[in-house]
Amino acid sequence: MAKTIFRCLSVFCLVAVVGLAHGAERVLKVGVIHHSPPMSYLEASGALTGFNVEIMRELCKEMAARCETVVLTLDRVVDALADGEVDFAAVSLLVTPERRARILLTKPYYRSISVWFARPGIKPGEARVAVVKGSIQARYAQAHAWPIQPFDNHEAIFGALSAGRAEAALLPMANAVALRQDPRTLAQGLSSTVVQYPELAGDAALGVNPRDRALLDKLNEAIDEIKRDGRFDRINTRFIPFRLQ
Amino acid sequence: MTTPAKPADAHRTWRAGRVLLALTCVFAVIAVGGVGWLAVDLYAVGVAAGRLQGETVPWTIERQRLGRNLEQLRLEGQRVLTAPSPAGRQDALFLVHMLSAQPGMADDPRTAGLAVEVERFLQKVESPATPADMRAWEALSSRLRLMADDLSVEGGKRMSRELVRMSGEMEQASYKLLFNLALMAGFMAAFLVVVRRYLIRPLQRIRQVLSALDARGPEPAFPPEPMAEIRAVEDAIVRFHATLRENDEVRLRLERLATTDGLTGLFNRHHFMGLAADEMARAARYGRPITVGIADLDHFKQVNDTLGHAAGDHVLQTFARLLGDTLRQTDRVCRYGGEEFAFVFPETTPDEALLLGERLRARLLESPPVLADGRRLAVTFSLGLADASGCGLEDSLARADLGLYEAKRAGRNRTVVTRRPDGL
Repeated sequence: MAKTIFRCLSVFCLVAVVGLAHGAERVLKVGVIHHSPPMSYLEASGALTGFNVEIMRELCKEMAARCETVVLTLDRVVDALADGEVDFAAVSLLVTPERRARILLTKPYYRSISVWFARPGIKPGEARVAVVKGSIQARYAQAHAWPIQPFDNHEAIFGALSAGRAEAALLPMANAVALRQDPRTLAQGLSSTVVQYPELAGDAALGVNPRDRALLDKLNEAIDEIKRDGRFDRINTRFIPFRLQ
Repeated sequence: MTTPAKPADAHRTWRAGRVLLALTCVFAVIAVGGVGWLAVDLYAVGVAAGRLQGETVPWTIERQRLGRNLEQLRLEGQRVLTAPSPAGRQDALFLVHMLSAQPGMADDPRTAGLAVEVERFLQKVESPATPADMRAWEALSSRLRLMADDLSVEGGKRMSRELVRMSGEMEQASYKLLFNLALMAGFMAAFLVVVRRYLIRPLQRIRQVLSALDARGPEPAFPPEPMAEIRAVEDAIVRFHATLRENDEVRLRLERLATTDGLTGLFNRHHFMGLAADEMARAARYGRPITVGIADLDHFKQVNDTLGHAAGDHVLQTFARLLGDTLRQTDRVCRYGGEEFAFVFPETTPDEALLLGERLRARLLESPPVLADGRRLAVTFSLGLADASGCGLEDSLARADLGLYEAKRAGRNRTVVTRRPDGL
């Protein structure tokens, strides 16, 4: 009898210890994209960094979770989340009804606008516009029957513009700032205009696995916390020359 | 057994259980009401704290971010005007466009208007800027700084207002808590007073009455109590006392019947023999003198025969009363049978008893029995005495009897002391 009780207690302790260890540090798969400065890109040393990457690291710290990155391209982010390939994605997704129908989205952590870059004199719809595949800008251009020049990432667009392989581009605000500061494109004398189409502006959120509502709640709490304690602003200052709001 | 009179039931009574239940219900209702009253404020404090955490703090942070962007707009504007190269000017102007188009900037009409004004001004100004342009920019720059200052303190002001309101609600809640505690303390005190006044005190009084309850004492009296259970116990005690008194009276009556003669009220022979034996034993133990005697009314049969038994009974009763009036308290006497009476005179020698007998004879002469028709009967008695010191009771009485016969034979109405055979 005593032996049985001892065995039961041992098993219980083992399960409890394993459970606690598991609860203390959950392993999360986080989707990231490369070559999208200043949000997510590789430094010269090869280390992944950027506004969204550093925000992701602080969120994981806040949730006491160990996060493992899974590299995606923007056009695969929503599918990877919907399929459960990743738990959440450190990618700014403009909130749209279509995305909300397929995946969970955190509370907005900033609001974005879009910027039109082009050689002087070229207006939207008049020339092929460079867009990142899967972006809201690509969808908008297609919806308005603009000729598009799809790219896998923003750096590819920067390269095409600086090399003269592209004449115009439609980019999210943060990427537009990075493009404007890129010395390769400065020489091209590109003009920039903030576009006022409501479909290209609005709340930016993180995407979450649609079957993991608990993770969504934790992420929302963590976003509130890093905004309250100043970590969000410090990362903002490192990567973007003004406050995201 | 008589039924004791019920205590006056002028006062209405209440069952203690129901009273306590009612008091408890009242207390519960008041306590729940008080807690609910307090909970309203606590809920308001919780809501205010939640609002502070969930709305005001984020709003304050957003205000500060907006202020920071205004400051950034001012710096970029300054750079537009002072940039050494067209590229630098274009770069700064791009950021001015970006900042002006920020959704956060457009939310507040004050910042939206100012940002548009700044954007238009900077777009319009040619490079290099003229002194007039710079003066106009200084004015705009100053407005941007002041607006940034205003925004950065707005959050603090709102938080301060909410904290004042929250602390007011907390203060109100603390007063309510104190009031509730005082109310509960007051109710507990009132509860204890009620229990003490209407249960404990009456129980203490009942205990006192029970410990002093005596069948020959007065009937226990209780003030009217409102508690039905207490009243029931008190009524039972009153009935119990009445029963005790009744039983005591019966016992006394039976004892009297068992020890006295019904006609004369004197001890009967059986009881007398017991008392006499005790006196004899006491006298023997302490070596004290003691005398016994037997008296017989003279010619009593003639009284019965000529005047009737009622007259005879009257004579016996008169003689018995005379005995009670004349003899000492320590002397014992009984109706020995018919018209015979037996005596024990403790601490008395036969000679002293002889004097007592003569005093009795004189009293009978002075106060003879008087019949209903007024006739005075000349009644005498003969008395035989014997010294009983150191002798047995039966033996002493037998010698007194001999004395009585001697007195009868010598002509009646006299006393004869029979000496002991040893001549004492």
